[in-house]
Order: sequence, then C-alpha cells, then structure tokens
Amino acid sequence: MVEKTQNQEETITGSIILRRALQTGFIGGVFWGLMGKVMHYFNFTEISAKAYVLHSWTRSTWTFRWYSEIIVLLIIGVLSMVVAILYYAVLKKVNSLWVGMIYGGILWALIMLVVTPFYTMIPNLKELELKTIISTLSLFSLYGLFIGYSVSYDYAMFQKYNLQNKGDEPSEYTI
Amino acid sequence: MTNKQKDNGQRVPKRIKDVQSYMKKHLGTDVSFDIGYRQLVILEKNVCLYFVTGLCDSTIIQEIIKTLVETNDSESDTDAIGKVIENRLVHQQVEKADSMDEIVDQLLSGLIPVFVEGVPHAYILDIRNYPGRTPEEPDTERVVRGSRDGYTESIVENTALTRRRIRDERLRNEMMKIGERSKTDVCISYLQDVADDESVAWAKEKISKIDIDGIPMADKTIEEFFVDHKWNPYPLVRYTERPDVAAKHLLAGHLLLIIDTSPSIMILPTTFFDHMEHAEEFRQAPSIGTFIRWIRFLAVLASLYLLPLWLLFVIDPSLLPKELAFIGPNEEGNVPIIVQILLADIGVEFLRMAAIHTPTPLATAMGLIAAVMIGEIAVDVGLFSPEVILYVSISTIGSYVTPSYELSVANKIMKLMILILTAFFGAIGFSIGFVISIVSLVSFKAFKAPYLWPFIPFNYKAMVHNVLRVPIPYTNKRPSIVHPKDVYSQPNPETQKK
Repeated sequence: MVEKTQNQEETITGSIILRRALQTGFIGGVFWGLMGKVMHYFNFTEISAKAYVLHSWTRSTWTFRWYSEIIVLLIIGVLSMVVAILYYAVLKKVNSLWVGMIYGGILWALIMLVVTPFYTMIPNLKELELKTIISTLSLFSLYGLFIGYSVSYDYAMFQKYNLQNKGDEPSEYTI
Repeated sequence: MTNKQKDNGQRVPKRIKDVQSYMKKHLGTDVSFDIGYRQLVILEKNVCLYFVTGLCDSTIIQEIIKTLVETNDSESDTDAIGKVIENRLVHQQVEKADSMDEIVDQLLSGLIPVFVEGVPHAYILDIRNYPGRTPEEPDTERVVRGSRDGYTESIVENTALTRRRIRDERLRNEMMKIGERSKTDVCISYLQDVADDESVAWAKEKISKIDIDGIPMADKTIEEFFVDHKWNPYPLVRYTERPDVAAKHLLAGHLLLIIDTSPSIMILPTTFFDHMEHAEEFRQAPSIGTFIRWIRFLAVLASLYLLPLWLLFVIDPSLLPKELAFIGPNEEGNVPIIVQILLADIGVEFLRMAAIHTPTPLATAMGLIAAVMIGEIAVDVGLFSPEVILYVSISTIGSYVTPSYELSVANKIMKLMILILTAFFGAIGFSIGFVISIVSLVSFKAFKAPYLWPFIPFNYKAMVHNVLRVPIPYTNKRPSIVHPKDVYSQPNPETQKK
C-alpha cells in the first residue's frame, strides 16, 4: 500500500465527513426550524425565525403567505449548513453531547446579544419573557446537540474505521 | 462453591459402592425423591444408572434397561464388560466421562450416567426431555399475516426455530453456562462473517464475568448485567418472541442471546427505533407499512407529550392560538387538573396491573367496572373533568400502541416527569422536560450504539429506513450501527455493473 501523506488523508476526511456534516446541518436546520415554528404557533416564544431571516429585510405581502414558512425553513437549512461546517472546523474531535448543547447555547447567545441589537423591531433580550428565553434556549441546545453530536460521532466513527482499515476511504454505508 | 472445588479432581471410583456413597453424600439420593437410580447385575457385575425423574424420557430408559439385561442371555465375556455395555446402550448420543463433578452436572441436566463395576468412567446418554409447551403465537407480538410460531422455554427448541429460518453454515450458536447453582444454558447466536467481532467478544466476556447463584428471571437478569445505566427505565436491548423477527435481526448483523427457560430472546445492540418496529409492517405493502409506522410514531409521541402539553394549555391558556382556544375544560373542576391527571393515570395503572393477572372469566367484570364506574361516575361525581378522561385515554392507548412493552412503561415514567415539571413551572417546565427527555435518550448507549441513532447522531440514509418502510429489494445494506463486517445483504449494484 502506498504511504499516504498527512495531506491526502485530510482530503479523504474532508470529502465524506464534510458531506455528511452539510447534510446533517441542512436537515437539522429544517427540522428544528419546524419545531421552532410549532413553538411560535403555540406562543412559547414571542420571536420567530421569520423575523430574522425574512422580515429583517423585506415585509412584502408574500412574506405573510403560507409558502413563506417553507422559504424560511429552507433559509434556516442553508444557514445551518454553515453552522455545521463551523462545528466541523472547530469542534469535530470532541465526541461529547454536552459540547454540542453548549455550542447551541453559544449560538443562541450570539443571536440574542450580537444579531438582535441590529434590528429594532425584534425585541431585545431584556424585553423578552422568561418563557421565551428558556424555550428558545432549549430549542437551540437541542439544535446544537443534533448538529454537534452528529458531526462528532461521524468523525469518531471515521477515525475508527481509518485505524482499522489503514486509511482506506469508507463508503457511505460503513460509518 | 467450596464443595465443588474440593471434589474437582474426583474420578469415577471403580467400585459401584463408592459411586453410590458419593451420590448419597453429594446429591442426597436418599433424601431427594426426584433423583432415582436403578441397579442391575449384568454378566455378574454391578451396573448402576442414575436419572432425574421428569427430565428424561422413561420409555427410553426402559428400552435401555431391557437391552442391557438381555446381555445376560447372549454374552459371556465378563472381562470386556465395559465394551459390551457401551455397545448395548442403544442411543445415538453416548459419551464417556470420568470426572464425578461433570457427571453430576450432566445428570442434573437430565442426562443419564451408567456406571459399571470396575470401569473407571461412566457412559452418559443424552435422553433428556424437558417438560415444556409446543411453539405457539406469542401474545405480545401478534400479526395479521405471518408465521404463528413463537419461541418456547426450551433453548434447544429456540435455536432450532432460528436455524429453520437461517440454514447458513456461518450461523454460530455458542453455548455458555451461567449460574453457580442454576447452571443455566445461555446461547449467543450470530452470523460469523457479518456480526462485529468486538461485539461478540464483548458479549461473551460479559457473560463469563457473571458470577451468580442462579438466574430464575433469565433474560431480564442478564440484561441488568449487560447494561451500564442500571437505573435507566429505557430498554437497551430488544426482546422478541418471534423467530422471524429474531432471524431478521441476525441477518442485519445483531447478536441474539437465547437463555434457557425464557421464551424472550434478547437482541443486541438495539436503538430506540428498533423498539418502534413491528413485524406487521413487514407483512404489509411498503406504503401501508410506512403509514402504520407514522401512525405509531404519532401514538408514541402522544403517549409521551400529549398529556403534559394539554396540562400546559390548561394552566396557561394564553399559549393557545385563536383557532384552538376551545381546548381546556370549560368549567373549573373541584380538583386541580394535575391532581386529576395523576389520579386518572394511577387508575389506569391499577387497571393495567389488574388486567395482567386477572383470570379471563373476571376480565369482563373488570372491563365493566373500568368503563362505567371509573369513567362515567367519576365525571358525574365531579372528581374528573371529561377532558381529563379523554386525554388520559389517548395517552394510554398511545402507550399500548408502542410495540415494545418495556418502552411503553419507560415512556410513562418520562411522561410523569414532564407532567410534574409542567405543573410546577408551566411552559418553562415543559421546555426543560422536553430537553431532558431527549438528552437522556441521546446519552444512553447500548454497547457502542447511541440510543437515539439514527436521529441523534443523525444518519440520513438510516433515518430514511426508519421513517419509511423501504421495500426489501431496495434495502441491500445492513445498518452501520451494528458495524457489520459485510455491509451488503444483497449484491452491491455498483460492483455488479462492472
């Protein structure tokens, strides 16, 4: 077997696990975005994702139609791919579910403390009810858990496969 | 235990008298009625056979005694008595043993040892015939179509039922023993070229490490030795009494643990979603199977979250959108809603427990009491509001829909926890309860398998196979969670093209 350089191994890692991370990010975004929508519908939270990704730049009539919700979910999905890549780049080696949850919490804090102040029509952290804070924080910790733990687990499985099979590229189904 | 170690080296004595005194001392043949022996004189030598009544077929014993006695008429070579006797033991399974300890073990499992004067070993015949029932359809896993046989209490019959479905030369049934006193047989079944070596080694090591008197509660006790989270209510192994389900899991690369005296076969490792599976789905068209599965997911979710959610809406009606504002009791009851829910839930538990061991003739009367008394009259009296009955019923039916009984009970505990959190802290309590319920599921691990896989950690391809009941021709891969050595269960279409 040809000796593989560090660089080559990195590219193998890049291709399959990164693809997996993107997939996880997108589906995680859509799924937990949907959960967020349900929470918003039942008034667990006063703020919705729509306020951030749609109403922050347009308030045309179509944003109040039913299909705008689907567009919101797709946008969150795409944004979550970025979230997943970020996790992949920084934290993929930590195979712990708590880290994923904390990652979600940090994202929440970023949105609440850094992003929100830019938009005047979205209420600030201080103006929010306690139940909104707790329920959105819960949502984000589960969202972070979903993305973080999945990426870390895939990476750990990949490493294990690599160790056992001496750097062969695993197929889509072996990990 | 000390007794056993002392006698470990005891050989079969040459004199029948010594054998008898050994048996008297160790087995109490003069006290226990179920250990019998028969002494014969063959070619002027003493021959003695021991048996446990009830564990062996007495017609075969008689047949053997008959042929042995007939030797007296036709043979005369008293020196070759051992050979003569061995020849005359008319049975296909005859083995020699020379350690008394081993012989006693065999005797107590229902085999019969034959001792011959002057011969330093015993001949052991395997004619055991355990009391038991014939395979019948398991009560807990009925299907509309499909095989109606189920596992029984006999380990040999159970391995045979599995073997009948997988006649593969690579199917391994490894027998081990657990229990210093009970000496229960335990069998690990796996496909040698599919199952993950590490898992097999792990299971074997776990079993060999179990040092206990006996395991009368069979599989459940073993499970408790196997899992790490001993207080966790969720089942980390799946039980089945259906050989077709067990065979399906074997082919997927899981291990089976078959424990003598129990008709429940353990499948490991298993995830949450394995517990949501039912043979019925695979007996219907894939689209129907998918439909059944979705409805089941809905029912299980309802059994977990519906009651707490409704309680939340009662506590805090401002959460409800305008369209759903009708939810919630119209009039204030006499008893707080959370107390009503808990009482009703406990009442349902009363009924369920009573139903398990109520004899059938009384079941009708019990049903009447349940429906009329507890339902109707509790509302009339003003104890319960009708809506409480409705939601408690839905959540209870949801838990009955759960295919795995163990899972439904565990979900009930989780539901109670979320209910109480919601009652105290409202929406905040519900959110936190929801997070706890998910995170605790994620944190469990059945050996190497994360419990909520393939949802968290997410695996797209495996999730599709859990959300849809994919037609079997399209499922040519084994689930990666069992780390199969051979990924493909059907030919790989890519390699076939080449």
